Amino acid sequence: MADVIATDNLLTKVQRRTLEALMDIVIPAHEARGMPSAKTIDLMSYVNEFANTSIKKIESELDSLNESSLKESKIDFADLKVEDQQALTEKLKSIQHGFVQITVYQTLQCYYQDDTVLTALGMAPGAPFPNGNDVPQGDLKLLDPVRARGKIYRE
Amino acid sequence: MEDIVDVLIIGAGASSAAAAWSLSDTKMRILCLEQGDWMNPAEYPSTKKQWQILRGQYNQSPNARQWDTDYPINEDDSAISVANFNGVGGGTVLYSAHFPRLKPSDFKTNSLDGVADDWPIDYATLDPYFAQNDRNMGVSGLAGDPAIPYHEPPLPAVPIGKVGEKMGRGLNKLGWHWWPSDAAIITEDYEGREKCINLGPCNYGCAQGAKSSVDVAYWPMNQRLGVELKTRCRVREITVDENDMATGVIYFDENGVEHHQRAEVVIMACNGIGTPRLLLNSTSARFPNGLANRSGLVGKNLMFHPWGFVGGFFDEPLNSHLGPMGTCMLSQEFYETDPNRDFVRGYTLQFTRGQSLMDTAVNGTFGGEIPWGAGHHAAFEKYAGRGINVNICCEDLPEECNAVALDPVLTDSHGIPAPKVTYRLSENSERMMDHAVGKATEALQAAGAFQINPTGHVAGTGWHLMGTARMGKHPEKSVVNEWGRSHDVKNLFIIDGSIFVTAGAVNPTTTIQALALYVADTMKKNLANLFD
Repeated sequence: MADVIATDNLLTKVQRRTLEALMDIVIPAHEARGMPSAKTIDLMSYVNEFANTSIKKIESELDSLNESSLKESKIDFADLKVEDQQALTEKLKSIQHGFVQITVYQTLQCYYQDDTVLTALGMAPGAPFPNGNDVPQGDLKLLDPVRARGKIYRE
Repeated sequence: MEDIVDVLIIGAGASSAAAAWSLSDTKMRILCLEQGDWMNPAEYPSTKKQWQILRGQYNQSPNARQWDTDYPINEDDSAISVANFNGVGGGTVLYSAHFPRLKPSDFKTNSLDGVADDWPIDYATLDPYFAQNDRNMGVSGLAGDPAIPYHEPPLPAVPIGKVGEKMGRGLNKLGWHWWPSDAAIITEDYEGREKCINLGPCNYGCAQGAKSSVDVAYWPMNQRLGVELKTRCRVREITVDENDMATGVIYFDENGVEHHQRAEVVIMACNGIGTPRLLLNSTSARFPNGLANRSGLVGKNLMFHPWGFVGGFFDEPLNSHLGPMGTCMLSQEFYETDPNRDFVRGYTLQFTRGQSLMDTAVNGTFGGEIPWGAGHHAAFEKYAGRGINVNICCEDLPEECNAVALDPVLTDSHGIPAPKVTYRLSENSERMMDHAVGKATEALQAAGAFQINPTGHVAGTGWHLMGTARMGKHPEKSVVNEWGRSHDVKNLFIIDGSIFVTAGAVNPTTTIQALALYVADTMKKNLANLFD
């Protein structure tokens, strides 16, 4: 059991390291924009709560990715240099249909609902209700030429 | 002593709510049976942090949603899949609340254009009922639209925002019609309800209660007026006597116990799929082909609106991910027949706001527009909140080959045969869609979009269910008469989209409700000889 995350028991240590490395490849941090790396968000808790039917597929995708790394470089994917991780994922994307598709899909969904990400994007984090959003009325004078043209329906 | 109600209404959606309200002043005993539940707005996605993913729980397709209150639909032979909702409020729980009316020409397509049939009523007949329904629902809009007879929505229009300004300027360059959409969304506090706060995902239930789904706009009022409403009651069949009069319905209650509810009058409000399904399931010695089906037209002439999409993205931030998604503005430049085109009748272009941030990221990444790695954030910014969708709503002409029948195998959880839909797009619809995709693209170009994605027809858009129990003066050519009464069963009325003769090219809910109010009012005026 030592090779299992104690908090959620969802991934092995190798799978977890592979996942973090992959998430950082997909969405790295961007300091100037204040955007965090996807590896900093708690994907597996999210998946466990909202998409638990994806867990097996994610495990399988991570295992496959790491096996590819071991086959090509004899080391775990997480231990490759970032450039080598990028090169390997680009290569696998080009030859494997649906490469890490579910993992990336869930990563994107989780990332763009995360409070820190939404805050960095200038959005109010959390539920839309009850605060709502402001939408300007818009310039209804733009309708003047439409009005001027007159009736267009048939009786 | 047997319990007999005066009026039994099947279904608690848009038409049911309006008719029940109208009939309530007769002091008749009115009972509504609804197979779904009351909704709890506190559970809607927009009350939750992960609202974007939780929208999936409110999938519009009953086959995908698979709630125990849903019934399955065989769509294997249909080019469009059905969207509906079973619960108090019916389809209005998940609709976008886009509320344009049918136009005068829609009621006389045969006289004007030589296609389909004229309705037995006209726009002027429905006009006062449109207005009454606008007041009851709480409709927002801007008076003076030159594409429709003058009417004054009771509330100010939903904000068009930067999205509307952007498209409005583009359409003005082209000299095309556009107008802020009438919307069943309250923009000011109204009748005890609080105004819209732009939560956004209207199509997954409105937590604010500002969207006028009829569970909030009508039913509380109806219940105060004495209308009874029973939920989780699924009607299996309508019963009739030897005089061809409906005697009531057999239904299963929430515990699966079968009941026979007697009624003096039965009103069907189950939508364009549910109504023919129930009629076809109500066979008897006197109606071996289904109740009220001596014309053979029950289930025939199914009309959706063939629906298409063209998306565009713009250089500047539009905040298009905020605000009521489906109700911004429309163009009806190509609504009426033009003999210079290669199709008859026309379509509406409905301009809606863009995708949520999450959807932008997912669609952009898997679509190849937003890369992995260092360029991800800049590319995301290029698309997020900068998209506008042009929805294409094509008029669908009635054809008997497009139909709802009973599936020989598929049943719901009570063993009641499920509907099977057979539907294909006509050549006229295909040509109309091609024209509309071109015009939608032209509109986005004129507005300055840097990228345009012309998707065209999309199958999962069967929101509008019409024509399967059409109205008309002649019993051999229609199922109900000009005020919704069955030709064959004199105390059976139909008030949902089934009775549409033609479909127009707009979302049908406001017209469905106006029809329901008109039918109910006509019933009241004819109470002394209702069954003659």
